Amino acid sequence: MSELSVKHLLGIKYLNKNDIDLIFETADHFKEVINRSIKKVPSLRDITIANIFFENSTRTKLSFELAEKRLSADVINFSASQSSVKKGETLIDTVNNILSMKVDMVVMRHPNPGACVFLSKHVNASIINAGDGAHEHPTQALLDSYSIREKLGEVSGKNVVIVGDILHSRVALSNILALKLQGANVKVCGPKTLIPKHIESLGVTVETDLRKALNWCDVANMLRVQNERMDISYFPSTREYTQQFGVNKALLESLDKEIVIMHPGPINRGVEITSDVADSNQSIILGQVENGVAIRMAVIYLLASKIK
Amino acid sequence: MNILIKSAKIFDSTNKKLHLQKRDILLKNGIIDTIAPTIKEDGDVKVISRDNLCVSIGWFDSSVSFGEPGYEERETIVNGLKTAANGGFTDIILNPNTNPVPYTSSTISFIKDRAKNTSTTLHPLGALTVNSEGVDLAELFDMSNAGAVGYADHKKPTDNANLLKIALQYAQNFNGLVYSFPLDTKIAGKGIVNEGSVSTSLGLKGIPALAEELQVARDLFILEYTGGKLHIPTISTAGSVKLIADAKKKGLDVSCNVALPNLVFTDETLEEFDTNFKVLPPLRTKKDVTALIKGVKSGVIDFITTDHTPLDIEQKKIEFDNAAYGTIGLETAFGILNTIFDVETTVNTLTKGRDRYGIHTPLFAEGEKANLTLFDENTAYTHTEKNTISTSKNSMFYNLALRGEIFGVIANNTVTIKN
Repeated sequence: MSELSVKHLLGIKYLNKNDIDLIFETADHFKEVINRSIKKVPSLRDITIANIFFENSTRTKLSFELAEKRLSADVINFSASQSSVKKGETLIDTVNNILSMKVDMVVMRHPNPGACVFLSKHVNASIINAGDGAHEHPTQALLDSYSIREKLGEVSGKNVVIVGDILHSRVALSNILALKLQGANVKVCGPKTLIPKHIESLGVTVETDLRKALNWCDVANMLRVQNERMDISYFPSTREYTQQFGVNKALLESLDKEIVIMHPGPINRGVEITSDVADSNQSIILGQVENGVAIRMAVIYLLASKIK
Repeated sequence: MNILIKSAKIFDSTNKKLHLQKRDILLKNGIIDTIAPTIKEDGDVKVISRDNLCVSIGWFDSSVSFGEPGYEERETIVNGLKTAANGGFTDIILNPNTNPVPYTSSTISFIKDRAKNTSTTLHPLGALTVNSEGVDLAELFDMSNAGAVGYADHKKPTDNANLLKIALQYAQNFNGLVYSFPLDTKIAGKGIVNEGSVSTSLGLKGIPALAEELQVARDLFILEYTGGKLHIPTISTAGSVKLIADAKKKGLDVSCNVALPNLVFTDETLEEFDTNFKVLPPLRTKKDVTALIKGVKSGVIDFITTDHTPLDIEQKKIEFDNAAYGTIGLETAFGILNTIFDVETTVNTLTKGRDRYGIHTPLFAEGEKANLTLFDENTAYTHTEKNTISTSKNSMFYNLALRGEIFGVIANNTVTIKN
């Protein structure tokens, strides 16, 4: 088993457990590479990758670009604000124009759920989903699971709670799917207004009491409240949200055991977690960022080897 | 012209003597002249003879959209009616979703004028409000005089409950049929598919069943207060079936229909983000489909519609969020329904509903105007994009195993028969 079962990375739901194991084993190797003095390997000198971002992104875009460059791929970047999309060009035309310049792989972020699935059916390139609306963000979920595996030895059997805005989150969905695939137990926690009514169909349980959720878990993955995606107020005020769903040092220290704190970023300090929690020893937030590069190198490398 | 239909199996559950019998049928100048076991070919007569030929009165579809005027690239009235004829339909209700929206008698007259000399008759709906903006009532009476058979702001809910109240009261003067699209826009929010486990796993915004049922309940309360004739188009949830069943028991003058997609598919078909399955009302769950089929059989749901909605490829070959709602369905309706129900139920379903709109229901009897659909009840076939007559090809029904084929229709002294 040395290759992925898929041609694209469109979402965790299209992967199997062996795929995840293979990505993690490959990432182990690349993590060692990026900690060398020469952080680069020549693996993908003949591959050209387009990073196409129809939504704003800082860390994901940088992480992908760094991963691509450390694999020696040629990289072009494209964002919607500087594109012909604003002139009315369709997604297929935009991407096909870029592919005509002999691009092998597309990393795309898009505001519409399913945009990457749609694209994969209509263009001839390997597609990596860097976030499509509230659907999936597979590389984030992979790096989150990888970080749990690194910190706790394995993912299987671990209790993970995802706290916050589940409703608008692609990170939550991909994380749930990835964690379940690896045998973790998953709860979601947040105000009922920000938890999809049918979330339990994904095999998770809902807990609205943060303290109970934290006492149950080994890992708490804290999500940001995505105000930019809300058409009405789902809770009365940030202050009231924080009172119920914010993690501070006092709460953390009052728990029965020491839990791991994660956050996909960007953090709203003082809202979902306080600074002293984000910067504490229990937090692996910066480790997640580092692992993000290794995971993305692994995904790109494995998909590129299928092109070859 | 005289036409002799040879050895056709008759489907007419209202006529016990003829029902399921094989007969020859002679038509003279558009009138059923003779129905007999055998009729001799005499003089200048066009003979229609096919293997497994069946005949019933012409079929009726209560919700069809074309594109003329304004969106002729989707479908013209002439080709749309040809499509309907090839699907076996001799009477269709045309939705008021053109550009301009037909909210005056002159636009109704224009549409009727474009639909002359065809075998399929077009019966237009007028808009309920000026420009379908949901603010001021359109000239309903004047449109009625021009041939409008009901009033709807197509797929646009009447958010203002008082406006619906007034419409239901006002239309009683001329026995007008008022539509109310069942969707509470605030509860539906930006939802585009059924809210459920599928929308959760696809990250698509959901429309809960509550959004439909809340509006149905509201409208039934209003109808109980006002009296009048209310039609609730294209219901999609088990809860709506129950609400309407209860209202009918109370004696309210309410009718409803169900769109074919909601009888055939569930939201699980959305897993691949195929925009041909993006319809409004959205595809719901297995439980809803079961309740809808039961509702058709029990008569709570008055009739079935294809909800035929031609859309050009630019509105479908795009991201799911941005794609338009709708599928075509006229050409596949019979073959699909015939896999859900037995042939007799299918034909009964397809011939029901005209009376709700004040349209004469054709009779299968000597001396009556011929308004007939000719079909084969059993042949298995699949419908593909290649053999689609509709100008727009946006169909969710391609490549399915269908049962029964259409030969064509005879109505308005005009024959449309496939070669």
